[in-house]
Amino acid sequence: MASSLEPIVVLSLVVGAIAAVIFAGVLVALIVFTIRYRDVRTGSAPQIHGHRALEIAWTGAPLALLAIIFVLSLVTLGQIGQGATFGSLEPPLHVDVIGHQWWFEFRYPGGAVTANELHVPVGVPIELDLSSADVIHDLWVPELGAKSDVVPGQRNVMRLFTARAGTFSGECAEFCGLEHAWMRVLVVAEPRADFDRWIAAQSAPASGTAGRGLEIVRSAVCSSCHVVRGQVAGTPIGPDLTHIASRTTIAGGVLANTADALRAWIGDPQRYKPGALMPKVPLSSDDLDAVVAYLESLK
Amino acid sequence: MTATALARRPGAFATAGVLRTVDHKDIGIMYVLLGIAFLAIGGLEALLLRVQLATPGEHVLDPSTYDQIFTMHGITMIFLVAIPMLVGFANYVVPLQIGAEDVAFPRLNALSFWLTLSGGVLLYLSFVAGGAPDAGWFAYAPLTEPAHAVGNGMDWYIFGLAVSGAGTIIGAINLAVTILLMRCPGMVMGRAPMFTWMVLITSVLIIAAYPILTSALVMLLVDRQLGGRFFDPAGGGNATLWQHLFWSFGHPEVYIVVLPAFGMISEIIPVFSGKPLFGYRFVAASGIAIGFLSFGVWAHHMFAVGLGDAENAFFSATSMLIAVPTGVKVFNWLATMWRGRIRLAMPMVFAIGFIATFVIGGLTGVSLAVVPIDLYTTDSYYVVGHLHYVLFGGTMMAVFAGLYYWFPKVTGRLLGHRLGLAHFWLTLVGLTLAFLPMHLLGIEGMPRRVWTYPPGMGWDWPNLVSTIGSFLIAAGAIALAANVWRSLRAGERAGDDPWDAFTLEWSTASPPPSYNFDAIPQVRGKRPLWDRKHPDRMDPL
Amino acid sequence: MSAQANAIPFTRDRNLLGVALFIGSESLFFLSVVIAFVVFREQGLATAKAQLDIGRTALFSVLLFASSGTMGLAAARRSRAWLGLTALLGAAFLAGQGLEYARLLGAGLRPGSEMFGTTFFTLTGLHAAHVLVGLVLLATVLVASLARPRRVGQTAWEGIAMYWHFVDAVWVVVFSVVYVGTVLG
Repeated sequence: MASSLEPIVVLSLVVGAIAAVIFAGVLVALIVFTIRYRDVRTGSAPQIHGHRALEIAWTGAPLALLAIIFVLSLVTLGQIGQGATFGSLEPPLHVDVIGHQWWFEFRYPGGAVTANELHVPVGVPIELDLSSADVIHDLWVPELGAKSDVVPGQRNVMRLFTARAGTFSGECAEFCGLEHAWMRVLVVAEPRADFDRWIAAQSAPASGTAGRGLEIVRSAVCSSCHVVRGQVAGTPIGPDLTHIASRTTIAGGVLANTADALRAWIGDPQRYKPGALMPKVPLSSDDLDAVVAYLESLK
Repeated sequence: MTATALARRPGAFATAGVLRTVDHKDIGIMYVLLGIAFLAIGGLEALLLRVQLATPGEHVLDPSTYDQIFTMHGITMIFLVAIPMLVGFANYVVPLQIGAEDVAFPRLNALSFWLTLSGGVLLYLSFVAGGAPDAGWFAYAPLTEPAHAVGNGMDWYIFGLAVSGAGTIIGAINLAVTILLMRCPGMVMGRAPMFTWMVLITSVLIIAAYPILTSALVMLLVDRQLGGRFFDPAGGGNATLWQHLFWSFGHPEVYIVVLPAFGMISEIIPVFSGKPLFGYRFVAASGIAIGFLSFGVWAHHMFAVGLGDAENAFFSATSMLIAVPTGVKVFNWLATMWRGRIRLAMPMVFAIGFIATFVIGGLTGVSLAVVPIDLYTTDSYYVVGHLHYVLFGGTMMAVFAGLYYWFPKVTGRLLGHRLGLAHFWLTLVGLTLAFLPMHLLGIEGMPRRVWTYPPGMGWDWPNLVSTIGSFLIAAGAIALAANVWRSLRAGERAGDDPWDAFTLEWSTASPPPSYNFDAIPQVRGKRPLWDRKHPDRMDPL
Repeated sequence: MSAQANAIPFTRDRNLLGVALFIGSESLFFLSVVIAFVVFREQGLATAKAQLDIGRTALFSVLLFASSGTMGLAAARRSRAWLGLTALLGAAFLAGQGLEYARLLGAGLRPGSEMFGTTFFTLTGLHAAHVLVGLVLLATVLVASLARPRRVGQTAWEGIAMYWHFVDAVWVVVFSVVYVGTVLG
């Protein structure tokens, strides 16, 4: 199987084809009847009241068709649902997913914690364990198929899979407040060796450059919401910043992860993501430069 | 003017002014006008949303405003447009169709209208009193809970819907008692017009489904104002309980807004085909089946919530099942047209358009009943496309058809055909451009309820096309408004029976006198006027 | 009208049918709230066992159930005396509920204090509100029939009786689910 999207595509094509045929039939009937029976002459129509056999036929046939589709849907669910292997012999990789307003947190076995970017090895079923820290969210990576709600007080499990390497865009798919639109994720599927290197690096504690930037992050308001494992013991309310420089985007995908963007974001988050729970950080221009330089060193 | 002369004077508000009337015809007109007023507001809201989404990264609306507007758009269209308009038609037409003088409880009828209007006013007051509701028309907890909600928009939601809901329930009781106990001699239910049938089923659905919404609103109020924990997991509550309650109301609700539409189409197609409705008994029975089944499908809105495979499978099966009686209706309408003498007057033009657009919505609905497909498409623009095809391409198209059909009865004048065609084509092309691309957007991965979207996703041109379509729909509405304006002044005069129709409302004057009929009709069959006009070819008993 | 009555299968009164449909609607409302109570029942069971006074509530419940009997008699005989007794019994029930609420609130149980508080006060509170409305209706019939007895038709007596029986029936369910259910759970 190429990906966990594939069985859904196959089923959709079958159902879509059936639907298209039915619609075409209705449309043709409408057009033909309208043209053929248009009242251009006098005389009245035959007063036909009904036909029982016809009623049974057009009740029974759709019923049978739907039964077939229902069975097919169960087959597809078996291919992508709980415990699906997607034809792979590899044991599944478990990742805990926690939804927040407005970002996704990913926690790997081994201690790696990241935000908004999910790296996975190709050819391995990925088992996501989903829960929410606040309201109901939903994690959806369209190119990988199904979505699942992320519910507070509840644990949902969803399996995704891809045999090909690539970068897939994902998002929150349950209205969750002001910045629901900017709760995007990137899924990076890479060969096993690359993934192992990535996870090893992510699991390791931070190796950021010590200096003014680190001092500020430790002492200023940053640590009241952020953690840098090994260097800043903060409160994990916002995203884990241990390896922030390794990510492609920041702030739920609203900005690319460049020094300029980082600087602009920290200076005024509300400008780029109005409603975001990160307050404006009161730092002088020099201090801001120092902080950005430190964050850039957190590879 | 003597009492008798006053009573004989036809036309709206003949017996009392707007504030004091209890006549079902007046109240019907008031409901429809209310619906039209809120249609304009809800439509403007839609245009604002579409302008914001026309291109990626727009800043016409900020997130907070966007959230309030998309929420109010949904609430307005369902509770303040669809329901009042359908109830308005039911109020005006049903007593006439069953040969009655008025509804069972005329004063309660007036109360229902004023409650509905008050609910709407309450909802819109929110904009100037702390912010409108902003969590979507279905307002999922725990986003609406005190811990997460911003402002008190949700309290306006609770009170606005509770008040207008009370009006709707009382109105439904009124219609149900009217239909059950006030039919004229000879009119057993098996001879009642199909619109009356559908209104009866709808009324029962309202009586059964709206209280569930009320209970959810009360629980939300307890959470928000008394510290309750019904929907707050942090306090021991259940985050998905709201969804179960809301959709137990919400799914019957969508059948509430579509069954009367089916009823209107079931009146129009036979008249303009010159034939009786094919399979009358099966069309009635399918309505009853839909009514029952509508209470067993609610969790198809929750396939991604994580209820469990068995639960999902159950609701998938029932949701597919409910497509069958709907299909039965469509096939019977087509069979009614078959071998008919089709007259393409405006009601029929819209009825034919309705069949095409509603069937598209119905088929995408079936696709959504298939769990694996739904797990992909739910909460994406595919669903937005589906719901607009059934609600606009379905209910609204039928309402337009009904408007052209019954306008002459209400006003004594016909709506113009040329402007009518302009209205039709602008609407059909507009809705196709507005809502068809949404299915593509959903398939391409665009989620719903987003105030903006990133560029480069392939979502740009479908969004732009959709926005263009929405403006065409608005243009169509202007054509309709112009048509109504012109026709009220100088439209062709309609007699009692301008369409050569079948049912009792066409046997009295246009507009009817305040007491409806000079003499209480007696019927022997399903088509009293056909029997009267064709005594040699009456319907078999 | 006799011609209408012949043709129509039901021969019931419009007003009574209206009341019946309204009761049907309210029944579904209560069913929904009862279901919500049951969903959280286990969570609140410990508090329920500790805090509820089933004996005293049972006594006051008997008064309410008796009021259904007196209401039946009142409607059959259009008797103001029996109607007054019904209202008194209903008011006594509400007083009992008030005492129970005062005791529980004093003990620290509130709609916001814990799950049981939320569900208990919501369910019983909504029922009490319906009893109160019922008392207002009883008082209305009482006063109207004092002023102009003939104007208060049989359907008014019967309609209000139907509503009062409904309020009682709801209490049968609520008492069983909340109180008896707690004892048995």
